[in-house]
Parts: sequence; C-alpha cells; structure tokens
Amino acid sequence: MVDSGNKDNDACRDVESHSLCGVNPDPLAGVPPGGYAIPHGEGMALGGGRGLYCGALKTDHTSHSAASPREALRHAVDHAAHYLPAQGPIGVFIHHNTLHAFQHMKFEEAVLKAAREFGAEPYMKEEAYQKDRARGRIADEDVRVVVRAEPDAVIIPGRLTRHELRTAMLTPGVREAEARTLAWHLEEGGWLTSFRNDLSAVVKAGLAGDNPRALWEACVGRIPAAVPCEAGRVRRPAEAVMISKGLNMDDYVHPPLIRLTGAYVDQGIAYWPMPMRELGLLRAARRIMGQGMSLFPANLEGIGEVFRAHEAEGLDAEDVALRMLGELGVPQEEWEDYVVAELLPLAGWAGLIRKLEEDPSLAPHDRVRCSLLEFLALRLCYTVTALRNLAGESRSWREVRRRPGVEAEMEAAAMFDAAQLIGMGSAELLALPAVSFEAFRREVAAFGSLERRRLLHAAYERRHERQILVPLARHRRMPRLVPESTRLAAQVMFCIDEREESIRRALEEVDPEIETLGAAGFFGCAIDYAGIDDAGGVALCPVVVKPGHEVREVPVGEHAGMQEKRQALRRIWAKVAQNSYVSSRSLVRGWVSTACLGFLSIFPLTLRVLRPSVYARFMERMNRLFLPEPRTELAFMSDDEASRQATSGLLSGFCTPEKVERVAGVLGSAGLHAGMARVVAVLGHGSTTLNNPHESAYNCGACGGRSGAPNARLFAAMANRPAVREGLRAKGITVPEDTWFVGGYHDTCSDGIQWFDLDLVPASHQGDLARLQASLDKARALSAHERTRRFEAASPDFGPEEALVHVRERSEHLGEPRPEYGHGTNAVCIVGRREQTRGLFFDRRAFLVSYDATLDPKDEALARVLGAVIPVCGGISLEYYFSFVDNEVYGCGTKLPHNVTGLVGVMNGYQGDLRTGLPLQTVEIHEPVRILFVVETTPERLMKVVKANPELTEFVENHWIRVATMDPANGAIQVLRADGTFEPLTGDDEPLPQAATSRDYYRGRMEHLPVARIGAA
Amino acid sequence: MYSEKLLSVLVAVPGVVVLMLSLSWLFGLALAERTISRVTKAVYALLIVTAVLLVLSLWRGHVDSVTMFAGHWFTVGDYGFDVVLLADRLSVPFALLTVVLAGIVGAFSVRYLHRDPGFFRFFLLLHLFTLGSLLVFLAGSLDLLVAGWELVGITSVLLVGFFQYRRDPVKNALRVFTTYRVADLCILIAIFVAHHSFGAASWAAMFSGTWPEAENLMHGPAATVLAVLLVLAASGKSSQGPFYGWLPRAMEGPTPSSAVFYGAISVHAGAYLLLRAEPLIRSSMVATVVLVTIGLGTAFLGTLVHRTCADAKTSVAYASQTQLGLIFAEIGFGWTTMALVHITGHAVLRTLQFLRTPSMLRDYHRLHAASGGNLDPTGSHYESILPARVQHWLYRFALGRGFYDSVVDRFVAAPVLRVAKLLGVFEPAAAAVPELKAEDEKRASVTVEII
Repeated sequence: MVDSGNKDNDACRDVESHSLCGVNPDPLAGVPPGGYAIPHGEGMALGGGRGLYCGALKTDHTSHSAASPREALRHAVDHAAHYLPAQGPIGVFIHHNTLHAFQHMKFEEAVLKAAREFGAEPYMKEEAYQKDRARGRIADEDVRVVVRAEPDAVIIPGRLTRHELRTAMLTPGVREAEARTLAWHLEEGGWLTSFRNDLSAVVKAGLAGDNPRALWEACVGRIPAAVPCEAGRVRRPAEAVMISKGLNMDDYVHPPLIRLTGAYVDQGIAYWPMPMRELGLLRAARRIMGQGMSLFPANLEGIGEVFRAHEAEGLDAEDVALRMLGELGVPQEEWEDYVVAELLPLAGWAGLIRKLEEDPSLAPHDRVRCSLLEFLALRLCYTVTALRNLAGESRSWREVRRRPGVEAEMEAAAMFDAAQLIGMGSAELLALPAVSFEAFRREVAAFGSLERRRLLHAAYERRHERQILVPLARHRRMPRLVPESTRLAAQVMFCIDEREESIRRALEEVDPEIETLGAAGFFGCAIDYAGIDDAGGVALCPVVVKPGHEVREVPVGEHAGMQEKRQALRRIWAKVAQNSYVSSRSLVRGWVSTACLGFLSIFPLTLRVLRPSVYARFMERMNRLFLPEPRTELAFMSDDEASRQATSGLLSGFCTPEKVERVAGVLGSAGLHAGMARVVAVLGHGSTTLNNPHESAYNCGACGGRSGAPNARLFAAMANRPAVREGLRAKGITVPEDTWFVGGYHDTCSDGIQWFDLDLVPASHQGDLARLQASLDKARALSAHERTRRFEAASPDFGPEEALVHVRERSEHLGEPRPEYGHGTNAVCIVGRREQTRGLFFDRRAFLVSYDATLDPKDEALARVLGAVIPVCGGISLEYYFSFVDNEVYGCGTKLPHNVTGLVGVMNGYQGDLRTGLPLQTVEIHEPVRILFVVETTPERLMKVVKANPELTEFVENHWIRVATMDPANGAIQVLRADGTFEPLTGDDEPLPQAATSRDYYRGRMEHLPVARIGAA
Repeated sequence: MYSEKLLSVLVAVPGVVVLMLSLSWLFGLALAERTISRVTKAVYALLIVTAVLLVLSLWRGHVDSVTMFAGHWFTVGDYGFDVVLLADRLSVPFALLTVVLAGIVGAFSVRYLHRDPGFFRFFLLLHLFTLGSLLVFLAGSLDLLVAGWELVGITSVLLVGFFQYRRDPVKNALRVFTTYRVADLCILIAIFVAHHSFGAASWAAMFSGTWPEAENLMHGPAATVLAVLLVLAASGKSSQGPFYGWLPRAMEGPTPSSAVFYGAISVHAGAYLLLRAEPLIRSSMVATVVLVTIGLGTAFLGTLVHRTCADAKTSVAYASQTQLGLIFAEIGFGWTTMALVHITGHAVLRTLQFLRTPSMLRDYHRLHAASGGNLDPTGSHYESILPARVQHWLYRFALGRGFYDSVVDRFVAAPVLRVAKLLGVFEPAAAAVPELKAEDEKRASVTVEII
C-alpha cells in the first residue's frame, strides 16, 4: 500500500509543481533560454481544467499495434470515450458515479488515477480536513485508528516508527508550502525565526536549545540535489506550443469547434437550424466552413482548403482521422493516449456527442446523428491547421520536452517540518546514520499531501460512521417510542429519497398512529407515460430500465370535450408565446414587439422579481379561469388483445398478473404482508424550480429524473383493484378488505402535496383520509420549517406556515440559484424496518428503505431492493462527492455565469466547454463522505446477495460505498472493513441526544446535526 | 428650486453610497450581505421616488427643463468649465428607466448572488454603474457626460471579468475594454473639437431651445467632424457598426449584470448621446448617412447572426444589437420620439429576457408540450427563398459572426502591433519584451475567437 502510494505520490507531485521547461535544441523556434515558466493554473488551462500532465498515460488495455489502422482507430476512440463524462442532455440529469469508468478499481486507487488523468483533486484540501479536525468533526482518536490500521515499520530504530511519524504529521498536521511560496516562508514568513508554535511539550523538549535555521540547513545539507528525472513527453500539440511559444493553441481551435458542435446538436434555440445536418457533423462542417469568400483567423489560414480537399476526395471521418494522425506523426501504438489527450480538453462536448451517438433518443427534440469519431476528425483538422500556421509544419511538436522542476528544496521543506513534528533537532538529524536518514527521508517523502489526505479522509469518514452507527445501536437498545398499537390509522409510502426523511419524521411526530415507509419512487412501475398536457411519452423508471408498458392519462368519458378545448387553448397559447418569443428577437417583427409592446413586460418583470408568489398565484388564477380542467384517469388496463397491438411497440397498460407482480414487489419488499391501515397513501415526488437548468437532478432519480407522481397514482389504482388483491393473496400478501390506496405527489421544493383520484375514495374512508390529509398538511409545514434552517434568506423566527410560504417562493423565484439543496448532505442509507429508525433525527441525510428481513427468508426481496438502491444511492452519493471535492473539474462550477446552450447543457459565458456534474450552489453544504449503507440483515446474507450481482459487487468490494449490517434479531452492528471482513461495532463514544420535537432540537442551528432521538422527553 | 433639489439628490445618493461602500472596503470592513441588500433596496426605492417626483414636478410646473448649476470645475481666465445638471424631456425618461431597471435587477441579484464571494464587489459596481448612468443622462455638458460615460464603461468591463479567477472572462473583459478605449477616444476628441471650434461643450451652448425642439447652433466642417465623432462614440457604447463585435463577449459576466448592461441601460447610453446630439447630426448630411448606415448595417448583420446562435445569452445579445441598430437608424431619420419609445420598450423587454435565460430550458419545454409537440419550424423565411449556395454562405457568414474578429485581428491589431514594434527602435528596452519578437500577426490573434 505504502509503496504504491509512494509512486502515485511522486507522479502527482510533478503535477502539483508545474515547473515545465522546454529543452533545447527546441524544434519550434522562439524559446527563450530556460523556456517559458508556466504559471500555476495556466498549465491547467491547456486542458480546459482537465489539464494533461507529464508521464505517459497508463492504459488499461494492451496496445493494438498489430491491428489494422482502422480497427486501431476505432478502438482508440472507444477507449477514449470511457474518460469522457457520461452526461447526456441536461433535461434528463441522471446521477451516477462521476468516475464510473474507474469503478472496477478500488476507490482509493481510482480517485488517484482519475486525479492524474483529469488534473482533479481526489479528496478535499488538506486545509479543509485540518479545519474539520479543529472543530471536532475529526477526532484525534480517528486519526490514530486509521494510521494504526495500516502496517507499521521501524524508521529509526529506537526512535521513530511509521505510525509515530504519520500521527505527528497528521496531528497537528504539516505546514504546506508550494514551490512558489517557499522562498517567502523562509525569508519573510518566519519559518526560520522560530519553530512551530503548535508543538506538544514533549516534542518541544526535543528541540530545546536548537534553532530553526540550523535545522533547515541540516535538512538542506543532507538532502542531495535532485537527480534530474527523464524529460516528459508532451501529449498533444497544444502543450508543445504552450511550452515553446507561450501561446494557447486551444484559443484558436476551440471557438470554431464549439460553435459548430453547438449549432449541430442544437435542439431549438437557434432560429435557423444548421443546414446539411443530415450529412453528419464532419461533412456538414466541412461544407459550411469550406466555402469560398471566407476570412479565417491568421492561425487557421488554410483550413478552408483542407476542408475542400477532403470533401473533393470524399473522405469519411475515419479517413480524415487517419490522415491527420499521420500528419501529426503519431505512431499507431500511441493513438489511444493521443486520442484521450486530444478529446479531454473539450470533454463536455465530446461526452455529449458520445452519449447521443450511443442513444439518439436522448435528444429532447431533434434527433441528430452524432459520432465521436467525426468530432475527433474535425478537431484534428483544426489542430493540424493551427499547428502548421504556428510551427510551419505538423510533426516536430513531438520532440518538445517538458522537464520536471527541481524538487530538492521542496523535499527539504517537508523534512524540516517533519523533524519539528517529531522533535528532532539539527544535531540529531546530522548525527543520523546514513541508513536511518535515508529511511526517514523516504518515509517523509512517501507521506505526501495525497497520502495524508487519504488518511485524513478515512478519519473523516470514520467519525461519520461512528456518529451514525453508535446512536443507531443506542436507539435500538432503548424502548420503542410508539407501542405496537392494534391498527395504524394510516400508512404513507414515500420515496426512499433522503429529502423525504424530514416530512416522514414530522408526520409521525404529528400523528404517532401513522407509519411511514420508503420504497424506490417509481413504485415498481416502469412505465412510458404521457399526461394530458404532455406532447409525448417519457420513461418513468430508473434509467437502466427500458419501460415495456405505456400508460396514458386520459380524460374521463364525459370530459373528453373539455380536454379538446383545453388542448386547443394551449395550442393557441403556444403559438402566441412562440411567436412573441421569436418575433421579439428578429428584425422587423422585433421592431413591433419591442417598440410597441415591449413596455408591457414591465409588469411581469416587476412582479416576477419583486413578488414571485403574487405572480405565480396570478398565473394560477388565469389558468383556472381560462383552461378547463377535465377529470382524468389513467389508461393502464390491458385485458384485451387490441391494446396489445400498440403502435409504439410498447404494451399498452398492464394485464392483471403484471399488476399483481408490481404491487407485490413493492409491498412484499417493504414488509407489508398483512395488517395494513385503512388508508395507505403512496406519494411520488418531484421538484418544481425556476432558474435551474439542472432541474431534472432535483427530481426523482428512480423515475429517470422526472416527477414520480404518475407512478404513485398508478400504483394506488392498481392496488385497489379487486382482481389484483386476489392475486396478491395468492402471493401471500393479504390486503385487508377495508384498505384503500390513494396516490399523491410531494414537491420537495415547494413542499406542496397534491392528491389523485380522490373522487374514487369510498365514502367510508373519507374520514380516515381527512385525518391523514390534516396531519400531512401540518407535517409538510414542519418539514418546510426544518429545511429553512439551512437558508440564510429565511428568518430563524419563521413559524411553520411562514416557512411554507418561503419555500414555495423559492420554487417560483426567477433569480433563486438554490431553490432547494437537492441531495446535498446525503450520507446514509438505511435498509430495514422503520422501527429501527423511527423517532431518529437524521437531518434529511438518510435514505430510508423499508425492508423486513424476518419476512424474507430467501433474501429475494433483499436482492431486489439492493439491486435498485445501491446503484441509485451510491451514484447520487458519489456524484455529490466528486462535484464537491473538485467542483471545477468534476462539477460544473458556480451557476452564475451558466448559459443554456442548445437545450442540451450549460457552458460558462458565451463559448466554452459544456459543464457537467453538479453546480457549486447544489453541493456547497455537502459533506463529502461515501454513503454508508446500514442493512438490517446478517453479513452472510448481505454478501450472498451482493456477490450474486456484479454491479453490487463492484460497489461493495471496491469500497465505493461503505457498508454495515444490523442483525435483525439482536441489533448487533457489524461494519465492512477494507480487508473485506466484518468488524463488530464497539465503543460508546457518540451520544444520542434527546428532544421533545425536531424543532426543539434544530432550533437556531444551521450546521449539520448529529443523530438525535425525538419524542422521548 | 424644488426640482433642482430632486435633481441633485438623484446624482448625490448613488455617489454617497458608492463612496461609503468603497471606504468600508478600503478599511477592510466586511459588510454583511443583509446590510448590503438593505442599503441597495433602500437606495433604489429612494431613487425611484425621487425620479417620479421630478417627473411630476416638471409636469405640474409645465417646465420643459430644469438646470442645476453645481459650480465651476475650473476656470482659466474667463473660460470656465461648469458642472451643470440638466433634466428635460429626454434625460428624465432615461433617468427613470435607469433607476427602475437597475433597482429591479438589484433586487434580483440579492437572491442570485447570495453567498458568492464577489457579492460585495457586484453591488459596489452596480451602484457605481447607477451613478455613472445617471451622470450620463443628467449631465448638462459633454464634459460631465464623459465622467459618467467612463464609469459605465469601467464597471461594464469589471463585471464582464467578474469571475476573475477564470481565464476567459478576463480575456474577454480586456477585449471589451480595448474596444471601449478606442470608442472613447472619439468622444474625447469630440470634446476638444467642441471646445476648440465652438467654445463650449455644454448642451445649452451647443443647442438652443429644449429637447426635442432644440436647434443646432454649430455649423461648418468642424460640426461635421464633431457629429461623426459622436456617432462613432455612441456606436462603441452600443456595440454598433465598427465596434459591433464585443457584445457576445460581455456575456461572460453573471446574468443580472448582462441584463442591466447589455439588455437595459448601458447599451442604450449610446442612443441617448445620439438623441441629445440629434439636431447636430441632422444638420450634417455626412453624419446622418454614417449613422443610418451603421444602424441599418448592424441591424441586418445582427439579425443574421442571431439566427444561428445556439445559446440563450448570445441569442439575446444579438437580438438586442439588432434592435439597437434600428434605434440608431430611427435617430438618423430624425424620428426621435419613436426612438425614445422604442428604447424604453426594448430595455424593459430585454431585461426580462436576460433574467429568464437560466430558465430557458423549462420555458421551452413547456412551450413544446403546450403546442402538442408541434412547434412551428423556424428559419424558413428568406433563408429558404435564396438559392442553396447563397443560403449556405450566409449561414457560414453568420456562424462566423460576420468575420468581425478576424478582420479586427488581422487588419487592425496586427498592423498596430507592427507599428509599435517599429517604434520600439526609439525605446530598446520595450522592444526587448519577448512578446514583440514573435510574429506579429499570429501574436495579434491570441484572442481570436472567430471561425
């Protein structure tokens, strides 16, 4: 471990130091002696934030030099595609592991490898961890435990071991200096005038009588000057140009590429769609750009001729790419690395092209034929042309070298600090025998920033683990908060989403006779759905599933006329809106709409900015006044042959056995086999937001980034059918005669709740339903109130009703970049019976999945539940992790300059790479921990299920998630460790605070709150 | 007297706020977001009330204009530069528009920029911009107008480069800055011409009567030069004609600053200057032709380029430029009242459109659903009438934004650098800078952005 860490560390230190130099004789003229120093950040810019670094790219594949050039090229493109972000058009945002391409590796290795590939951070900054240590989020105990979990070694016999050195270097931590700031620290920063002032008395004693300057000189004296390591190869021409000329070639290559690609994939923003799109990106671009009478920038002179020649010869993308690779002089065995290097600087666009190539149906409106190979070929044409203009020819760039900077002084600085931390004075250091000194030096060097952060992160996660598991165990030992009553008043099934945790808790606080349950928010119904207002069907199910059944919302018979009127009115509105939109931007019609009508927009402008709620109410009223609202039902019956002949290839609706299967799947997994309440509500969820191109990321992940309302409605309707109940009985699930299911929708942003098909609820159940609705209304206000504690714009003095108004306004505000925090802060997923978590305050950070191991002897339900929950929650957790630790590379940065482009994504400013991942405003309050799964089962049963599913195996065994089990019988908790064994939870170091209500507990606090027990005052 | 007081309040309030905010910054006083947002809201409320009262007092008193003499800037012998504020039928609507739109955008930004590290900086610049705009619109002379003009310019540049830790915004801000400097040279020279040839640069001395019935008092070749210079200066501010390329670059800033600068106020400052100088321009055939040509040319080019823009903000930017072109032409034709109405409507509409750009995805999908999935196809007007070859060339021309940047880089920047290098003979130390050693033409296009 240490050895490999060491190697990684060295490679990355080269990355961090960024001292790149050209080596003479330089084939590209104009290098000043010593080369251009590339300032920090500038080197990054070469790769547009995904900078490329010295050292050849390690490939996972063997080289394919034996293959034919065409095969090799195709292979290289496929290989490179793994490194591209897998984000499709932003209208459907799917949370997934940002490093999915590395998931076959262990987490700790993968983050380092990806960090090198993309120029990203693998963990938080060391400073951030040390701040967390200072505020108690990481305890010294955690550091001690994680250091001791790895093998020890003697460094200086009788004086120093690895564990001692590492502990000292983590607590209190090293003082970091960069190559550029070291001189300042030494000369003006006081490093040489006094020792560190945060040392313990024992350590200080070791340094007594010594002075820092002597120690510094001792360190410098004993460390030999660095052996110049082999000069690094440049990976692509832009790097060579940057080194030899100090010019950023991407500045010439990217703008045309971005504009062409943007116009090509545009889904309807541009008034004039790109002509000749049917020819594919490469040919369309070639024909358009290759026309005569064009003026090019000086550095792209000749690109028109290149395009015309290619067009005349009729070259396809493969031909072009092969020819250009030849002109660049890249030998076939290096193609894989080269293509990756060439595509990463516009990874967002390239990734989108790849995504659309794999699945053209992802395009929201216009399907365009995309091909990553064509994108590459086009890019290579521009690269070669720009290179010719800059260097005169296109091959010699490969001879430019970059030389890693001299590291000796940095090494001395690290040792200088380490020596102080272990109380080793100059005399002792000088007196060390050569062997010991070498060992000491090696250890210090091996424990570089990345290694330290790896351990600090482990400590950070360990404390989190204890903050969850210890209270959970305590809670289990305490008496149940609510005695098992004869029959519950109602049961409400929510999505497992951690944002539903607060409303579930609030509901149970308001009415202890209500129980809540959690199931993946598509409620087992993978459907292709179109509501009465939708233009076409969309898939409402996890993205990995392709729905086989379609369900349509249709007006009930007598309301068909009303529906027609509604749609006619909507079409008129659409026509008017589209025309006013288009005309306000054109020349002649624009004159009419700006000069004559423009002033009218002062009303919506003022209202929408100053009084968004008033505007929203007004629009609602207008809709009610003018748009007839037909009563609707879902067309989901499929008991006759005719409906099986559906035109779209989807089965229309479900036949009875299919319905039974879906209902049973959800009820059975959740442990609902009998004794249901008289009313069982099923609430899908979604999120309504403005000013939010990432809206889909806030919706239900289990419904493909859309609202899960139709699924809930469908589930309730199916479960109410007598034939289905019949079938359920045969499967061992007895739904009481007097149980009625009702579907609904919870908006996690506005905290609004909407019910479906209330007119079908039998009169006998109206009272039960009214009680539930009243409780839910109180609960959603309480939940909104709990959410507002995180919002600075909300006053802490708000009551629940005011909080509800506030969150509603957030969802309607045109300028609100944080309508809600989405999955921000998610950290835990608990799979088990509600009684294990009931009454616990999880601060909206826990996914709660209902599962009863005692009713699942064959672990079938467990396999079903985990098969859905681990990829979904793991993906969400990892996306947030990476978007947080490096928001610029893995995330999409701050939302403020985002510019929606082509309806497929956002870019910064007016032409840049498509930004993928999550925005800063979504992740800013997140804690980057891998999600901790607590499954109420035994380790053996869990691992049996995990091993049977390769995807789960990858998640669990490579530690992309953390896993613990809770014994269903006795509540004993065991935690999966890095070596693959389960370790029983011991110790009692975390308290379980108690409070009468959630509100009492969180009142006036904005920070993350530990688990507490509510209601046991 | 009452109106004069209102007039001075209108300029003094943002001035005082800027001063206080700057001083607090200088002394390291970290103001809370809440404080800044309260101050902002209070200031704009006060400004709006003042502006409305000013309108009422002018209207009730049946006064066409109010002039406030704020003192001598300096005098040389009997030649003096006076600081004069002027409120008339032209400047008051502009001032009102400024405080209303900047106020709305300010309220929007309180939410939008919440927790951004540049929160304070943004609001400082917004207030500075308000001060600058009000100075432009209420200045009684070209001398004072320039002060506001420069404030508007520099705040615009600093907000384009608002995300200063990224390369692109800073690069583009620099480009905008350079364009502004060249255009601002025109207005500076215009002032010299006015003083030199006509002995004054105050509106009262240049024109008789009150707007819009003002009559030009300046004639002769010098007047033509002055008029053309003012047209060019206005073009720079409004991204027209020879300075047409910078507007999309300005989209690097945060959305509300795009709205207030490039949708609402800053781009219309050029039109204001032209409206003010309209009697002068009218009297010069040359200037009129130049103005109408610039306006119509930009309008056609803008609408063409707009058609191919595939991103939300650039699309609005070019649409904005198109209508500004028409406004310029209207002024050239002497339709001043229409231009004023057009400006008002345009500013309000564009502000809303800019503020809605982040919600575009949602808006578009709603529209698409309401239409039943059958939105009318666009791009089938004159694009489809022309023969395919012409169409394709026009598309290419539009996608390349009219080759503007290539032209500027190759035929303006590169020659200038070459001359600079020649001049290096006189200053060997400067010539030794490595930047000047590289091939000029390539070097000049470091920031080339054109296809």
